[in-house]
Amino acid sequence: MDRRSALKLFMGGVAATLASCGRPPEEVVPYVQMPERETPGLPLRFASALPLAGYGRGVIVTSIEGRPIKIDGNPRHPASLGSTDVYGEATVLSLYDPDRSKAPYSDKRIQSWSAFEAALRPRLDRLRARQGEGLAILTGRITSPSLIAQLGTLKQSMPQSRWYRYEPIDDDAVRGGATQAFGRPATALPRFTDARVMLALDADPVGFGPEQIRSARQIVDARRAHAANDSLRIYSAEPDWSLTGALADHRVALRPELIGGVAIEVARAMGAALAPADLPDEAKEFVAAAAADLKARRGAALVLAGPRQPAVLHALCHWINAQLQAPVDFIAPVDALTEGHIESLQHFASDAHDRRVDTLLVIGANPVYDAPGALRLGDAVAAIPFTAHLGGYRDETAERCTWHLPLTHVLEGWSDIRSFDGTASVIQPLIRPLYDSRDPHQILTMLQGEASSSTLDVVRNQWRSAVGDEDLEDWWRQTLNDGVLANSASEKISLPPANLPKMAPPVAAAGFTLALSPDPSVFDGGMANNAWLQECPKPFTSQVWGNALHVAETDAHRLGLNDGDVVQLRRGEIILEAPVSVRKGQAAGVLSTTLGYGRKNAGSIGTGIGFDAYPIRDADSPWLVGEVNIAKSGRRQKLLRTQHFFELEGEASELQPRLTLADLAGGHFHFDRPGADPPTLYPAPQNDTYEWAMAVDTSACIGCNACVVACQAENNVPIVGPDEIAVGRDMHWLRIDHYVVDERPGFSPTPCMHCEHAPCEPVCPVAASIHDSEGLNLQVYNRCVGTRFCESNCPYKVRRFNFFGYADGQEYGNLGEDIGKAVFNPNVTVRSRGVMEKCTYCVQRISVARRTAEKQGRSIREAEVVTACQAACPTRAIEFGVLSDPSSRVNALRADPRSYSLLGKLGTRPRTTYLARLQNPNPDYGKAPS
Amino acid sequence: MTLMMTIQAERAAEPERWTLPEARSLEAVNAIVVAPLLASSGWSWRAWWVGFGVSLVATLAFLLTIFLIFSRGIGIWGVNSTVVWGVAIADYVWWIGIGNAGTLISSMLLLMRQKWRASTNRFAEAMTLFAATIAGIFPIIHLGRPLYFYWLTPYPNTMHLWPQWRSALIWDFWAIVSYILFSILFWYVGLIPDFAALRDRARTKPPALIYGALALGWCGSSRQWQVYERLHLALACLGVPLVVSLHSVVGMDFAASLMPGWQETIFPPYFVVGAMYSGFAMVACLAALVRWGFRMHGLITTAHFDVMAKVMLAASIIMGLSYATEWFNAWYGGERADRSLVMFEFAGHYAPMFWALLLCNVVIPQAFWWAAVRRSVIAVFIIAVIINIGMWLERILIIWNTLSHDYMPSAWRVFFPTLWDWMITFGSLGPFALMFLVFVRLIPVVSMHETRKLVAEGNRP
Repeated sequence: MDRRSALKLFMGGVAATLASCGRPPEEVVPYVQMPERETPGLPLRFASALPLAGYGRGVIVTSIEGRPIKIDGNPRHPASLGSTDVYGEATVLSLYDPDRSKAPYSDKRIQSWSAFEAALRPRLDRLRARQGEGLAILTGRITSPSLIAQLGTLKQSMPQSRWYRYEPIDDDAVRGGATQAFGRPATALPRFTDARVMLALDADPVGFGPEQIRSARQIVDARRAHAANDSLRIYSAEPDWSLTGALADHRVALRPELIGGVAIEVARAMGAALAPADLPDEAKEFVAAAAADLKARRGAALVLAGPRQPAVLHALCHWINAQLQAPVDFIAPVDALTEGHIESLQHFASDAHDRRVDTLLVIGANPVYDAPGALRLGDAVAAIPFTAHLGGYRDETAERCTWHLPLTHVLEGWSDIRSFDGTASVIQPLIRPLYDSRDPHQILTMLQGEASSSTLDVVRNQWRSAVGDEDLEDWWRQTLNDGVLANSASEKISLPPANLPKMAPPVAAAGFTLALSPDPSVFDGGMANNAWLQECPKPFTSQVWGNALHVAETDAHRLGLNDGDVVQLRRGEIILEAPVSVRKGQAAGVLSTTLGYGRKNAGSIGTGIGFDAYPIRDADSPWLVGEVNIAKSGRRQKLLRTQHFFELEGEASELQPRLTLADLAGGHFHFDRPGADPPTLYPAPQNDTYEWAMAVDTSACIGCNACVVACQAENNVPIVGPDEIAVGRDMHWLRIDHYVVDERPGFSPTPCMHCEHAPCEPVCPVAASIHDSEGLNLQVYNRCVGTRFCESNCPYKVRRFNFFGYADGQEYGNLGEDIGKAVFNPNVTVRSRGVMEKCTYCVQRISVARRTAEKQGRSIREAEVVTACQAACPTRAIEFGVLSDPSSRVNALRADPRSYSLLGKLGTRPRTTYLARLQNPNPDYGKAPS
Repeated sequence: MTLMMTIQAERAAEPERWTLPEARSLEAVNAIVVAPLLASSGWSWRAWWVGFGVSLVATLAFLLTIFLIFSRGIGIWGVNSTVVWGVAIADYVWWIGIGNAGTLISSMLLLMRQKWRASTNRFAEAMTLFAATIAGIFPIIHLGRPLYFYWLTPYPNTMHLWPQWRSALIWDFWAIVSYILFSILFWYVGLIPDFAALRDRARTKPPALIYGALALGWCGSSRQWQVYERLHLALACLGVPLVVSLHSVVGMDFAASLMPGWQETIFPPYFVVGAMYSGFAMVACLAALVRWGFRMHGLITTAHFDVMAKVMLAASIIMGLSYATEWFNAWYGGERADRSLVMFEFAGHYAPMFWALLLCNVVIPQAFWWAAVRRSVIAVFIIAVIINIGMWLERILIIWNTLSHDYMPSAWRVFFPTLWDWMITFGSLGPFALMFLVFVRLIPVVSMHETRKLVAEGNRP
């Protein structure tokens, strides 16, 4: 071939290549003018607030190119303190849920908003003529000042209209207790940091709820001191396991009725003239030690009653706290309505049954699902002629209403909200509404018959009156920037001396009592369609994708029940079927389970998962349901769990050592110390740059799972779904190991150890598992061929394998739909089928810090890199930093006497180290009082 | 003098132990071996066709499973986040173990001048080749991304990426490749004189041409025989260390790790013996089938089964000792994870399988102490099948026990096999049987020239 023909062929090839580039299949519109502040690839962070049970938690939302992708805590907000909880972390996935309601719906077809307005308008005119007689609004707990003002305006224009509110996770007993003790409702805010002894009577301050983050932070901080008299000691009496019970130094499992007996005995020890309560020996011992300890620490002693317990017990605790001069502040309740939640719902049900309601508007609530079964709320709603449901999903209530209206997601619209201590925040939208939805403010504007003003104006006008016109603009910008309104927390109130309530000694019931609690994963069920939450392993049981009926070990033995046996729970005419999970440490005669499951219209993720315990609830005692009968059904159902497939044989104390403060002072313990490594033939690694390391304080870990979901959100960790969980294939990069030593549970978050001598590295045939110069053990996804030798050889079993394309074409349910891809963090590769993945110490965040530091010509500063798990942790149990910096916090923690390397004797030299779980038991416990 | 005569008589009798009188002429040997290949009429193929049909179905099942692995992913197996290896690796080790025996029989027995190998080595070598081929499939389909298996090879690429030579899987890759190449070569070299014999006996043109081409111009001259013997012996000298190294490397797949129950220095020799054990058992099974199918009672005698049974007996004792050594070391070492693993083996989730493995591999083969059992073809066949089942159980339990019960109790899980685990396992017998059935119809199933040599030595006055 000559030169000319070679060139001809070459050009022909080039032409063919050029011609093969077609037009893109869809129209793409580039940024012609870049939006203000937007730089491609750089995230923007906005302060906002998220509701949980109606109370706000301040958050900072990270948005990349207009997509919110990650929720972090807002350090300025008192209910966040910079940390998050599982629900907050998972909110961002709900935003992109393909099952979200997208359009108004009525008469079994999609409608338009104007059709709804046309239907509503004549009805509103008639209502207005009757001064609102027959109009009912049913909501959850509302703390939004703007919304409350709007509801107030509506009440003014239609005085006969009624506003009912019902939150399934209610606080009626708390409210009632304060009223009994002080003659007026008040909310107690314990100052845990000032407490040195705490008695929790079925109370779970570190458990799940809007106050979790702050309470847990304060309690764990109060326990950090290593002097026995300076560290908060916790006594817990409870029927089933709570996170507080797991953290407690002394715990006694008692039937819920007998918890009141403990309070009576403690009160008697303080001098109360009450009839003595008859308690089992174990409880007597507990009461003696706790009462003596409480009395000895007057001024720093605290007694808490749980919201499941009756109001009178709360009143008694207020009295005891008064005697102890307990560190408790009181504020006026943030929840504006004085009526109880159940009471309010009962009024609504009776009004509906008596045909006193002809127009119902349900705003952001799902009472048909979560009301106590006895109220038969579904029938009540269905009997009303005109019902409209404003909600995020076409849920159970929507099914019973004549109209369903799509509700704007909290990340899509303006609003404001108060936290449990009254601090107000402005909720600002991160993204324009994805669908044609409306927020509650717009609906109330519509009810007023006003021309639709923007919600932003509604919220701003609310605060304009408080702030004043001239300062508003600056104030507004500052508030949005901070995410919290300065000095908006409720004023402390002074209360009259607490009355000693006449509490009769409790009598232990004969049959089974069912103790309910909000679910650690889906809370009240409203977030049941969130796959991150469904697949989040519950503390203690590691159960995912469903709930179970927990039966005490002795009862299970007596009834011949094993894990997975399906039983029938019968109470009156109500029958529930539930799989059993046998539990040690639960009081005999107590059955326990969590709410929030058994949804019928949750969406394609949450529908039909678990069983629904709401129907068996009683309006009189919604949390503790007595006289429950249990019978075997003969069927079995596999409990989906991610741990606890084996009985342990004494390994737990080696893998999760426990120390008491006395042990620590005495120094009589031996751990695999970080740095004390067995000899090796390999040369020492040469580090000339940062050496990253993590230290986890197992004393501080309460097992709340915030880190697990945070890691999932940050690192695009896929959902595998219940079928894959059943086969044993979870994908969480970070798991919470749960071990029980001497009947005391403990939690250790277990990410990749980033071993200096990583066993995964030499076995990989293609060098996909490698070490970088900063001591990170990295996984090169596109080099991995999937031999899985690395996971075989990992002593910690922290690697995760994509057996299917969990994020890559074989997603669970509808998670593969296009909208779901919006939640991905663009800085983290979405892994394909057949590759191994694992914790990277959030290498993308390290890279950002390194780039920033290099641009500024300095090295990365201490605490400049915060991993997702570390940022989420409410109790600051996780510390991350540079090992080569002698002054770093992580170095100090590695030098702590409690520090140990997990399986350090194997010579893996893990960079993730632990601090042993520390307990502060009463040395006089069990000794006869002198 | 009497002593001398006795010794001479024994020498004369030695080759005669391995043939029956009807096969004791050079022509008889050729006739017996060639008949199934060239005599198209007068030979019943019904059993063959049945076998062919069954193995074809199994092969299709095997191929279907492989298709699903490529299209849906290895998630169709029961592997989970903790027990990330499953039956694919066990099948691989099992097949490669079987693939060991042919070369062992051929080369080690050749070097040891064990004449009886003559009538078994051909199909044993074929078995080796087929088993090693099937074994070679498993490490590929076991990968999460099987289409990139070639990344294990040091091929030139623009990224300048090289395999990671510290990984036992790379050693493994080279061990398999070199072993398969060697097996093909050794097998073919052994076949050359027989191809010539087939060429010479062919009555029609096509077989004569094909066998003629394969015979590479063999004419049986003394010079050719001299070179041939030297080459064969030299290959045998290469083969023995290769066999040992191959299975040592397979053992090191496990031993070069950190896991309790794997990280043991005994693994390489123990794997070699295990491979020989299962390989001999498979040869015994095939010998019984070939003998029955091709009426070769004259060439494959009970004496062959007797001697193979003795080898299996010795191997079973070594295996038993190896197991006991593992348990002893776990106890003596005092490591919590090792001790609890042994307890788990005996009493954990897979305990019934573990007890069955001990029964199959250690207890039942003790029946070979009795000569009557060794000389009963049926008994040897049944026990050999049992040994092969036992050896598969051993391999799967090495994986399941260790991975289910290692250092991290929170991650402990049990393996539950799926339909596709069984499909790939039983399906893999399909192509093996299929290839073997095709082999027996195309290639002399017994080495004619070596058997003739044996007979000739016996006939020598």
